[in-house]
Amino acid sequence: MDLHDIRGGRLDVITEEAEELSRESTNMADGGLRAARGVSTFQRFSVDTDESLCFEPCEDGLPSPIGAERGLHGDVFEVAEAESDGVTIRKQLQGKVTEMENFASHLEEIFLTVEENFGRQEQHLEQHYNDVLQTLSQRCDDRAAGLEEEKKGKLEALYKQLLACGQAMDVSKELIETAQEVYRCPDERLFLKVSQALLPCASVSLEFNTPLANLPDVKTMMDSINIVPAPSAPVINPQTPNSATQTSLRVCWSLFSDDTVEYYELYYRPVLEDTPADSTLPSPPVIKQRECASCPEAALIRWESGNTDPVDSYTVELRETGTVAVPTCQCLIQLQAGRRYLICVRAVNIGGPSSRSEVISVSTTGTLFSLLEDTAHPCLCISEDGFTIFYGEEELPISAMALEDNNAFTRCVAVLGGLIPVRGRHYWEVEVDDGTEFRIGVASEDTERNSYLGANNTSWCMRHILTPARHKYEFLHNGWSPDLRITVNPVRIGVALDYERGTLSFFNVALEQHLHTFQCHFQNHVQPCFGLDNPGALTVHTGIEAPKYAFA
Amino acid sequence: MALTQVSSNRCAGGFQKVFEHESTELKCKMKFAVYLPPKAETDKCPVMYWLSGLTCTEQNFITKAGSQVPAAEHGLIVVAPDTSPRGCNIEGEDENWDFGTGAGFYVNATQDPWKTNYRMYSYITEELPKLINANFPTDPDKMSISGHSMGGHGALICALKNPGKYKAVSAFAPICNPMQCPWGQKAFSGYLGPDRSAWEAYDATVLAAAYCGPQLDVLIDQGRDDQFLSASQLLPDNLIAVCSEKKVPVVFRLQPVSSNTRLLTDQHDSCMLGKAPPGDMWSSGFVFIRVIALFFLYGLV
Repeated sequence: MDLHDIRGGRLDVITEEAEELSRESTNMADGGLRAARGVSTFQRFSVDTDESLCFEPCEDGLPSPIGAERGLHGDVFEVAEAESDGVTIRKQLQGKVTEMENFASHLEEIFLTVEENFGRQEQHLEQHYNDVLQTLSQRCDDRAAGLEEEKKGKLEALYKQLLACGQAMDVSKELIETAQEVYRCPDERLFLKVSQALLPCASVSLEFNTPLANLPDVKTMMDSINIVPAPSAPVINPQTPNSATQTSLRVCWSLFSDDTVEYYELYYRPVLEDTPADSTLPSPPVIKQRECASCPEAALIRWESGNTDPVDSYTVELRETGTVAVPTCQCLIQLQAGRRYLICVRAVNIGGPSSRSEVISVSTTGTLFSLLEDTAHPCLCISEDGFTIFYGEEELPISAMALEDNNAFTRCVAVLGGLIPVRGRHYWEVEVDDGTEFRIGVASEDTERNSYLGANNTSWCMRHILTPARHKYEFLHNGWSPDLRITVNPVRIGVALDYERGTLSFFNVALEQHLHTFQCHFQNHVQPCFGLDNPGALTVHTGIEAPKYAFA
Repeated sequence: MALTQVSSNRCAGGFQKVFEHESTELKCKMKFAVYLPPKAETDKCPVMYWLSGLTCTEQNFITKAGSQVPAAEHGLIVVAPDTSPRGCNIEGEDENWDFGTGAGFYVNATQDPWKTNYRMYSYITEELPKLINANFPTDPDKMSISGHSMGGHGALICALKNPGKYKAVSAFAPICNPMQCPWGQKAFSGYLGPDRSAWEAYDATVLAAAYCGPQLDVLIDQGRDDQFLSASQLLPDNLIAVCSEKKVPVVFRLQPVSSNTRLLTDQHDSCMLGKAPPGDMWSSGFVFIRVIALFFLYGLV
């Protein structure tokens, strides 16, 4: 009878010990049964095999006490044999049990050892880091104490100087009084004598050099001891865009304390345009043309700070319209339709404004945007001018695909456009080939990146499918499309988005033919989306004035 | 030509009127409905001709479609003529609902006893526009045509046979290929005789294959569960196939609608207007609104 398989490999490790232990345990388990038999009942296991435990029958052949216990008489040999078989089996089973018990206890030991070791490691780690923290805090304290002492020392020195000043002033006062008295004295000779004696004293005291720079501060400090403390400095709010005109300026500030204030005093001075190059002036920013977007009502300008040191604010300048101050590196400016504006940016800090950045030209004809490269699926290539996308046949390395925390589409080979977030009317065109399977339309900025355009409720798109029989067109939203046939395949498609009316329309530009309109109240801002379902290319055209029929 | 006003009702800020006149083409008294939007009081307006389907008169469309509101909004004059000559006392004219009275099929009949009166094609394309332009403040360059079922067939053939005359053409559940369907075969053999080559001049599918003229832009709406679609009376696929091949621009929309007379818009398109009560094609006034919007698109307004 074979016992259940136990992997020989594992038991290998402990067989030796097992043997040792089992010797003892079997001694105990069997009540001394095996003691008589010796230890050769256990067989060695080979290293590489999964052989089940095999046991050679016991070779000692002593009459089994079991048989005797059972009280079987009769054919002693037969019974003895049967019984010895039974006994052997029992022995084997017991052996197995013991082995397993040993194995289990061995595992437990290992487990405990591991726990101990890790416990120790954790302790070490904790200790180590505690040491580091202590050292750091100690250093900090030391430094702080050092600074404190320095401060004290300097204050004391200043105080002393102040006292010395005061004393010198007293002495001078006395001298002046004495001089006055002497002057009043009618005896001129006495006057001369006394004044001569006085002069050196006066000169000594006058030579006393007071560090004038420190005095005002110290004086203020001393004064403030006796009088109501001055309120803390108000904080001027960063200038909001459009709060300035060419002749007026709106300044807002806040007071972040409970100090009583009787009134505020506002100081201002004009900053000269052509200040000489000052090292404290910031460098001019650099406008990021690709990340700017515009539409007939507004332009969104984005720039790089151009400074490694922090900058107080930025000024965006438009020809004709004056300046607008800005705290961050982007600005949405309201403009008038159908014009051309020249825009530049300056960085401003206490030292003054930087020189002008390079000027960019913004045209408020049509809607302009660029493709957001960080949203592009890895298999999508964008042309250098940034307006054509390609889906190649080559397989991209897996490394390019396995990116986490990414803004890119992972399944649909698509990309989003950076449409200006203005809820007006926007129009753009897409050029495709007859055989390109595409998805074009709009999607909300946070549309699921692992989903297909049009398959969810955050995207609306026109889809072209090429079957062997014909061209198929769908207008997808939430996975649903109306059933449509189009007889002339569009190769240039106009897309018209109207936030107010809640419509997204598609046109065959060549024929001025209306294809379909989605009606949807776009609650959030949406971005143009472009996807390719088979290898091919498409080109986006922006900055086109919407034809009359687009928003009729 | 003298027009007699039969009725006039204030509607959506304009007037829904019905006139009667003595028709020279049809040689009988004919009625037609005309809607005048508020804009017509001061300006010339574009005109849309609506051709009704089998069994209809000039009344069905104006009472059930609700077309006056969008027409008023877009400043469109809408003309809805009758579907056949009336009261001509031709033997057999009232025997069938799909042939004779109320079933003129917008052809010029060549066979007796129909050829004297049944000249709906000329009536619609020549006599009526002249009449309308002479009596109402129309912009004669801006005409469009549309219709339902038999009227859809009429709209398509009028546009295809008169390149450049109509700025826009559209149809609801039109009979696209009358030569291949029972309705058409019955009507054409009756009006035009057994020679099938004569029928080709009034078949939209055949005309589209041979069309050459200024670019058309055709919009067709069809109910998916229309019994006449499944009965092979309408045959839009034939027209689509030909237009795809010959590059005639068509947008064909299959709507989830249960019958020929119930051409509702699908939820996705009819946002503000809500759903129409079931039962009637004329609740396709909603669809009509889209059609009107398209006329707007085509520069009619």
